[in-house]
Amino acid sequence: MKNQSNPWLTSNLFVLGLGMLPAALLIGVLLYFTAWAFAFSFTDLALVGRKSVEWSWVGLQNFERLFTRKGFLDALWTTVVFVFFSAIVGQSVLGFLLAATLRGTQSTLRSVVEVCIMLGWLLPDIVAAFLWSATTSQTGLINALIVVPLGFPPISFINDYALPVVIVANVWKGTAWSYLLFSAALDSVSREVVEAAKVDGATPLQRIWLVMLPIIRPHIATNMLFITIWTFTYFPLIFAMTGGGPGRQTETLAVFLYNQSFARGNLGFGSAISVAMLAIVGVLSIFYLRLLREPK
Amino acid sequence: METNPAHSRLTAIALTFMAIIWVSPFSWLFLNAFNTASTGQLEIPRSVGLDNFAMAISGNAGRQFLNSMLIAAGTATLSVVVGIAAAYPLSRLRIPGRNAFLWTLVLLRMLPSAGVLVPLYFAAQRGGLLNQLGVIIALTILNLPFTLLLLKNFFDTVPIELEEAAYVEGATLFQIVTRIVLPMSRAGIAVVWFFSFTGAWNEFLLPLIFARVQDAFPMSVGLYAAFGQQGAINYGFLTAYSIIYAAPAVGVYFLLRRNMNTGFAGVGVKG
Repeated sequence: MKNQSNPWLTSNLFVLGLGMLPAALLIGVLLYFTAWAFAFSFTDLALVGRKSVEWSWVGLQNFERLFTRKGFLDALWTTVVFVFFSAIVGQSVLGFLLAATLRGTQSTLRSVVEVCIMLGWLLPDIVAAFLWSATTSQTGLINALIVVPLGFPPISFINDYALPVVIVANVWKGTAWSYLLFSAALDSVSREVVEAAKVDGATPLQRIWLVMLPIIRPHIATNMLFITIWTFTYFPLIFAMTGGGPGRQTETLAVFLYNQSFARGNLGFGSAISVAMLAIVGVLSIFYLRLLREPK
Repeated sequence: METNPAHSRLTAIALTFMAIIWVSPFSWLFLNAFNTASTGQLEIPRSVGLDNFAMAISGNAGRQFLNSMLIAAGTATLSVVVGIAAAYPLSRLRIPGRNAFLWTLVLLRMLPSAGVLVPLYFAAQRGGLLNQLGVIIALTILNLPFTLLLLKNFFDTVPIELEEAAYVEGATLFQIVTRIVLPMSRAGIAVVWFFSFTGAWNEFLLPLIFARVQDAFPMSVGLYAAFGQQGAINYGFLTAYSIIYAAPAVGVYFLLRRNMNTGFAGVGVKG
């Protein structure tokens, strides 16, 4: 912890406070708007029509509808599947394996692989959605290169296996973040510790599992926290690829929220969905922060 | 780490294979963009040319590129300047509950932005800010919690002893910040700027709602609008436009690549 009695700080408290002012102002605005969004969740406010002007308080009715009407619970389940397979299994594990493997390889190959993975991450969501729709379509790359040459009729992946396709697309797009974070974390593990384990006869797997993983545990928890929450609320990729369809197969909570608030115009119900999402995200974060704080 | 040559060759082959798989979806994009008679199918172009790109930078499309640039660079710079001014005091002064507060803000921001969008829109409408400036301010507001947390973490890693030494030598607060703290956290600041830039460059929903006229569209909205214009989809134009749209983020990444790893180390620092 920093010492409060640093003279260059204490004699300039006014200047420091002044510096914080713009940020404090903008944060205040954000909090104010968030409070507003909370308030909406207890009303029947609509985007257009009579109820956009003459809205009224409806108490907990919106929240009851979350559980009594079809939609929310299904979307929640889709989201859980999407987050688990694309973020936790896909991005995190793949990112870690890549970081651990590339740590030892020569620099050219490392750069090439790094740039390839980064391209997915850098690509704007909407372009990535085009790309994957085209790749998984009936005349797309996967069919042209694998399915048809093997003698099978072309499969329309984006229609028949919508959720797996969206998950793969998100792994493709998001692995770079986990990779970069784990790569930086592994760089901070001192070589001496790893060498010592090697001298003591630890296999590569043991070195990763018993030496490196415990050291970078805070990084793992931080990464989990970020990617879980991002994936949980991730909207543009799925929306541009499938719009939540076919049917409701890929309707995650974020898409459900958009459809309810803006396509159907139920701003009150939409706000209730985002409040529920915030509650879920909050619980998840507390869980991860516990993991982060635990003594080593 | 591996010293066994056969083993490392196998690893190299596996990695190369993976890299090829990773970039293979781009084939469709490039084959269509350079195909002057593009049909949106995956095929070897019969006539190769840059016609699609010429179309994608003329007229509205060029204007949209500038709009995107203005929004992204404006948001990134504003976020970083406002962020630095607040993150340095947050890092150095022992304000009770500052970490809990910052984390709460970050979590709050995880709320799907569609939730905050409605009040944001009403406020911008009343303040006459339904334009580029409004988009920049709104995106900065949404970015700020994350920017603050990252910048504070970077400043935390600058040893305070250096600042003490500089003070003893007679440096003022301004000199300490500009000559020691900022240069030492340059990598972190670059990464934060880059995140804000790409975030704003990719942002779709907010400009869609804020920018009401075609002249004000950034590329994300322009791309979306180009779908289904004049009836049939012009895949050649769309793919060329996509490549131009994706280029700046890739370019900025290569400029900042050397800083990326250092910058990322700060992300994992305990909150």
